[in-house]
Amino acid sequence: MQVFHRFLFLVVSVFLLLPQPAKAQKKLDVVTTLPDLASITKLVGGDKVDVFPIATGYQNPHFVDPKPSYITKLARADMFVTVGLDLETGWVPPLLNSARNGKILKGAPGYVDVSVGVPLLQVPTSVSREQGDIHIYGNPHYWLDPVRGKTIAQNIYEALARLEPANEAYFAANLKQFDDQIDAKLVEWEAKMKPYKGTKVIAYHNEWPYFEQRFGLEIIDFLEPKPGIPPTPSQLAKVIREMQQQHVQAIITSPYFKTDNADLVARKVNGKVVILATSVGAFPQIKDYFDLFDYNLDVLTKALQSAGM
Amino acid sequence: MSFLRISSSLLVLSLWAAGSVAVAQDRDSTAAVDSLLIKELEKEMAGQAAATPTPTPAQAAPRSAPTTNPRISVIGDLRAWYTSEGERNVDAELHEAELSFQSVVDPYARADVFVAADHGPGGFHFDLEEAYLTTLSLPHQLQLKGGKFRSTVGKINRIHPHALPFIDMPLVYLNYFGEEGLNDEGIELSWLVPNPAFFQEFTFEISRGPGEGESFVYSGDNRLLYTSHLRNFWDLTPNSTLEVGLTGIAGPNPNDRSTLMGGLDVTYKWKPVQFNTYHSLTLQSEAFLSDAGQIPGASTTTFGMYALATYQLARRWFLTGRFDQSDVPDDASWNEYGASATLGWHLTEFQKIELGGRTLWGDGIDRSSQALARVIFVIGAHGAHEY
Repeated sequence: MQVFHRFLFLVVSVFLLLPQPAKAQKKLDVVTTLPDLASITKLVGGDKVDVFPIATGYQNPHFVDPKPSYITKLARADMFVTVGLDLETGWVPPLLNSARNGKILKGAPGYVDVSVGVPLLQVPTSVSREQGDIHIYGNPHYWLDPVRGKTIAQNIYEALARLEPANEAYFAANLKQFDDQIDAKLVEWEAKMKPYKGTKVIAYHNEWPYFEQRFGLEIIDFLEPKPGIPPTPSQLAKVIREMQQQHVQAIITSPYFKTDNADLVARKVNGKVVILATSVGAFPQIKDYFDLFDYNLDVLTKALQSAGM
Repeated sequence: MSFLRISSSLLVLSLWAAGSVAVAQDRDSTAAVDSLLIKELEKEMAGQAAATPTPTPAQAAPRSAPTTNPRISVIGDLRAWYTSEGERNVDAELHEAELSFQSVVDPYARADVFVAADHGPGGFHFDLEEAYLTTLSLPHQLQLKGGKFRSTVGKINRIHPHALPFIDMPLVYLNYFGEEGLNDEGIELSWLVPNPAFFQEFTFEISRGPGEGESFVYSGDNRLLYTSHLRNFWDLTPNSTLEVGLTGIAGPNPNDRSTLMGGLDVTYKWKPVQFNTYHSLTLQSEAFLSDAGQIPGASTTTFGMYALATYQLARRWFLTGRFDQSDVPDDASWNEYGASATLGWHLTEFQKIELGGRTLWGDGIDRSSQALARVIFVIGAHGAHEY
């Protein structure tokens, strides 16, 4: 048993070298998958919450690395907010499985799937991966519609009130303010987009249906031949033809896709590449959920205007 | 210490190669890819001019209902190879078909079961690769795992071979743990250390001892296999991370004595947050020191290591170079070396094709070479891999 004693000694000395646990915090610790959910949580939770978003605003939300440092955050969290459906399926399950935190597991009061009650688009009637990386529950990019953002805020409010009933009135007042601000802003945003209603555009990836529907665009095709499959020459040729035939001038893409393919197509049809933000923080000036739409509509209308649409 | 010289020069070489590829890529890619793309584009457009667009057929099957079935998936591993040794130089096989069943059991635990049909002499053999229960919400950031599972030692022992960026296992794993790695029936307690500065996870496992193994075996008496691992992880910058792991293993060996093993694993990853699907780099090394007890009361100290670099050339292309050096547990004079390169084409998240070559040499070992190809496919709901 001498070997075992030596071994045990090693184990015990490692334990003794370890630092002591940090003190508990008074504010509600919230971890969200996307910065947009963090922004809405901050707006509803006010100074009663500490919020940490896992993904960065200019990161592809389908492909976030489940780094162990996030496990540390999740282990201490009181609440976890997720877009749900299957957007984060590649990185949330391994993080939650390792977080050892029963408070934020699916079904627990601290697990908040904000897709609850959100009307979804593109819910497939059959599922096959022949179609590429399809989303089996419907398109998950619903936070890009500010009206659906109100449902997100409602879900977050309900969770906060459930976890901290003492502050329910405070959260309710913040929620009301959020909803009112969305309503007020929506009038402004829709007025801004009105001249461009029905404008046909091309998108890189199928992540804009909610934005498209809310602001009256018409996305006629994608640079990706199938969701998640990188653009192919035949797809680009098809898109160029469509753009020429239907007089389409703009290609919408996201900060995490390289623009070489989009630039090439734009050169062929004398069109414009418009990089829109998919999340809060994608560009330095987008500091909260309202800025996201301010920025996108500003960039989009300027581009469409200069393209003579 | 020639292996140190060789390994360090190889690492430097692969670093340099990766670096120069990165620089070249940044400099030339736009122009070169553009003109290539333009050429193909012209061809496509000429061909498409006459073609009429085909309408996409409507789909009308009902959605599948929610179910309490576990998530089921099948992973296929097809291989073909050429080897410079032996009578039969060219061969191919369905190397393995792995079935996995994964589900939450109840609010307190989840279960993972992996069954594999392996190609073996005389046909396929079903084998239970892993089957274990993991707790989900123990207090004090503890997690308990019980059953048969890949032990938490080193870096790649826990990773299923199909998820590795190379086809051939490193010599140090083959020589010390065997083809399947250290995979035993036991119980593991892991603790997320409440360290506010960086991620730390401590794992301690007691297992019965593997039925067969190079370093450790099941013992007829009460001796068990003890394994521990301390995983340390730092975010160096938003784009790069460093992981350092320490491993300790003690247990009965095939000589009816005990073996003590210590290991060090270091992994550096670079992946830009913004364009995270285009380029990335992984540098990884593991080393194990073994002290194996022998019959006359003496012990043999041996060493094995590998170092690798994986560079993501483009969205779907990965290139891996690896250097191996390894003794065998009972023979310090057995110095085996290996160098390998693997090119992987990841068509989607569900299919990859890899081509590789490797060469082995050593003191008193004839130099041999192999060319390998493998196709990995996944159907079903195979879960995501850990970082």
